[in-house]
Amino acid sequence: MNAAASPRQQALERIRAATRNPAASVEPAGSYASLRRDYIGHGALPAESRIALMLERLREYDAEVTECPPEALPATIAAQLLASGRHAFVAPAGLPQEWLAPQFAWKVDRDLPAAEIEQAEGVVTTCFCAIADSGTIVLHHSASEGRRVLSLLPDWHLCILRASQVVETLPEYFSLCKQPPRLVTWISGPSATADIEMTRIKGVHGPRFLHVILVRDPVADPTSNLQPDQAR
Amino acid sequence: MRASLFITCYNDTLFPETGRAVVTLLERLGVGLEFRPQQTCCGQMHANTGFRTEAFSQARRFVRMYQDAETVVIPSSSCVAMIRDQYPGLFEELGDETLRRQLAALVLRVHELSEFLIDVLGVEDVGAYFPHRVTYHASCHGLRSLHLADRPARLLAKVRGIDLVPLPNLDRCCGFGGTFSVKNGEVSSAMLAVKLQDVASTCAEFCTALDNSCLMHLGGAMHRQYAGMRTIHMAEILASTESAPAEALK
Amino acid sequence: MTHAVADHPVLDPTVAPPFPVAALPVLRNPQLRKNVAHAMDVIQAKRARLVEEKADWQALRSAGAAIRDHVLENLGAYLEQFEERCTAAGGVVHWAADAAGARRIVLEILRAEKAAEVIKIKSMTTAEIQLNPYLEAAGVGVFETDLAEIILQLGREEPSHIVVPALHVNRSQVREIFARSMGIRDLSDNPQALTAAARNYLRRKFLTVPTAISGANFLIAESGGVAVVESEGNGRMCLTLPRTMITVAGIEKVLPRYQDLEVMLQVLARSATGERMNPYTSLWTGVTPGDGPQRFHVILLDNGRSQILGRKTERQTLRCIRCAACMNACPVYRQTGGHAYGSVYPGPIGAILTPQLMQMHHAQSLPYASSLCGACYEVCPVKINIPEVLIELRAQVTDQERRQVRRFFDPMYLGMRMAGLLLSRAWLFHAAQRMGRLGLRFFTGKDGWIHSLPGMGAQWTQTRDLRGMPGETFHEWWTKHKKEAR
Repeated sequence: MNAAASPRQQALERIRAATRNPAASVEPAGSYASLRRDYIGHGALPAESRIALMLERLREYDAEVTECPPEALPATIAAQLLASGRHAFVAPAGLPQEWLAPQFAWKVDRDLPAAEIEQAEGVVTTCFCAIADSGTIVLHHSASEGRRVLSLLPDWHLCILRASQVVETLPEYFSLCKQPPRLVTWISGPSATADIEMTRIKGVHGPRFLHVILVRDPVADPTSNLQPDQAR
Repeated sequence: MRASLFITCYNDTLFPETGRAVVTLLERLGVGLEFRPQQTCCGQMHANTGFRTEAFSQARRFVRMYQDAETVVIPSSSCVAMIRDQYPGLFEELGDETLRRQLAALVLRVHELSEFLIDVLGVEDVGAYFPHRVTYHASCHGLRSLHLADRPARLLAKVRGIDLVPLPNLDRCCGFGGTFSVKNGEVSSAMLAVKLQDVASTCAEFCTALDNSCLMHLGGAMHRQYAGMRTIHMAEILASTESAPAEALK
Repeated sequence: MTHAVADHPVLDPTVAPPFPVAALPVLRNPQLRKNVAHAMDVIQAKRARLVEEKADWQALRSAGAAIRDHVLENLGAYLEQFEERCTAAGGVVHWAADAAGARRIVLEILRAEKAAEVIKIKSMTTAEIQLNPYLEAAGVGVFETDLAEIILQLGREEPSHIVVPALHVNRSQVREIFARSMGIRDLSDNPQALTAAARNYLRRKFLTVPTAISGANFLIAESGGVAVVESEGNGRMCLTLPRTMITVAGIEKVLPRYQDLEVMLQVLARSATGERMNPYTSLWTGVTPGDGPQRFHVILLDNGRSQILGRKTERQTLRCIRCAACMNACPVYRQTGGHAYGSVYPGPIGAILTPQLMQMHHAQSLPYASSLCGACYEVCPVKINIPEVLIELRAQVTDQERRQVRRFFDPMYLGMRMAGLLLSRAWLFHAAQRMGRLGLRFFTGKDGWIHSLPGMGAQWTQTRDLRGMPGETFHEWWTKHKKEAR
């Protein structure tokens, strides 16, 4: 081994010697494509059961769920904000204006400092999609999903999920991603720990309360009509 | 049907009654048994302790000795696991192509006792009678390497008079592990104590298994602790009849 | 037998006592054994239920193993791809040959950042390179942010598990540790109250400390992305609030594509904590203007991994995704807990990983810390055949030791060599049986059982009897039986 070589070169030389695979930057696409994937890709649940499963999972996580028809969304948001007993909220810059009910104090995130976000009692965001099998909400942090810090610091997270955004399995979600997203947060229930005597405690650092409004928009085949929110 | 009995070194030395029971059982089922007196050991103890050279030579001995056998029956699940799981790797490392080929042909004809009864002879009811409360301990090799699954339970269920009690935490190791039981004597004993609590909770008279190594471990502790229960190899239960009860009952 | 037992567990394999000795403090502490068993029971039951409901579990395991193997076969190419894409996204990639190299790089970055304090996401890799004591010695204040890690750091305890590292500390001990180090006078021992105390303690740190250190669960070659899997949200805090993020990752952590997470995320949480999905998983790619740290460094750590990669049977060790299912299922770990393994990696995976990371110069007792029951292999989500690797490593330890002069009369080596000879010829074996029968007569009681043996045999008879040798071997009986039959 060349003593003058950089740590990088040395590492790659050691690795190539160990794998007896001299391929430099060649994408080993052929052998990758032939990897066996016999696990379930697409789920088989009819739309209504898929959504019911998502709601069941959310409730298992102690997330609160409210359902509403599309036209009632702004009113439902306002009602839930009121019911939360909170007043000061933050919103991502891309959130529709008509969702920001005027009776509350809103700060719209245009590079708000963390300390200001922390002062907010709650946050409202959309999401990229949701996965029923594990009850997961996926954020790609588009303009209406908000920067990562926005859905993290406030103690109460109200997430708007449309029924047509619910997929059944995790592989279905990945088949929606034509390009790997730059930022992703998968949320499966509120922050939790079991570090003390395996006792599950909700709410450590992330929001302690997750509230989901499920918008009952028309749903067809498992994923075909899914319209992710506008790209960042 | 002809079969060659590989009794294994420790059964030959310490548990001859298991061997006698296998003979009684299989002859009753019409199997023509032969026994090759030159046999010694499968090499498991050496292999699992890291003595590969010694394990090689015992593995080679086994394959050469039985390559012409119609069927080999072994009343010890861990020894069968040794042959199936470790021989191929040993011969590959040895670089012996002939032995590898001989093993590949032979290994399909090597059977653990319950496999032989159910898969080869196709019997579940072997005509046994054993009017006692019994719990079955699944040895790790039988469970996870041979995947014996419900074979032992099916055989025991057909034994007349038996009172079968399920053992809690069936899939948990008894802590024997060959030389582990002396190299890590304290840890092994702690595992054994936990297993013994489960066995005792069944209030069985006998704890049975398809591997005398686990039973030697369990039985040794039962005897030390005056546990009021005993161990018995499953072959002895299956060989037992009204007219010729198991030796353990005498 | 008496052993010197260290007061404080030692998790440095170069100086830790051998496993049988290090196991004694826990074996002699029934309360601690109970705590460990309870924790294992809770996780195991949850895992079993979720694996049961997953119809394609075995297919997921097979795919997981195949993807990880494919990565390892092409590791050089995938690492270069990761480096290229991560750099293009604004990250800085460093390469470290060993622990000392990685530590040095971290400190250099911290110096350049003028960082006096860092916040940390729980990371096995930084524990492996013993980063915290190094940084503290260099005057940097290190703040762990995972609840269990805080308990350990403030209580000066050592981790005993890779997913729930403080499972050996009970609530009253946590209360004491928190009350003392956080200066809270009336703190209850209710886990809810203790968790709230940790939340308050860390909140200001998250908002003010500008530099964070993490490990990585996965590196994505096609995009240069990094994924971290967690439960509490401390990871998300560290990944979004600071100005600078430093990630230390083993070179084996790469996945070819983003889509491969569809396998890994399905098996990881189910195996680790018995959840369908852990509460939070974060993925980021280099730096993103306006969102999260604007300076991002990844240190790719070898530290013995390329050697493991070069060995046929052992390579599968590097498939590991650190879920801890093997230790949760292990009947040995259940009795000894994690400290006995003398390494930050305990349990079955530690028993194969630690000696290999030490290039077989230390931790030689670990491959023997297993009854080879196979429960670890059965639950492993990427199908690492741990018993197979254990046996391979035992052979290496034996080859190493049997050449040493001082081992020549070691009872184990002497006995095994002798047995090898006796089993090589039937007549020798039969002669030995006859001799043994005579010899053991001295030790056999009137009840036909042996209650006490000298030397190595005492390791058996200290807790177990041994039935005396029967008067007739099976082959002797067979010879007679066949004569009578004729």
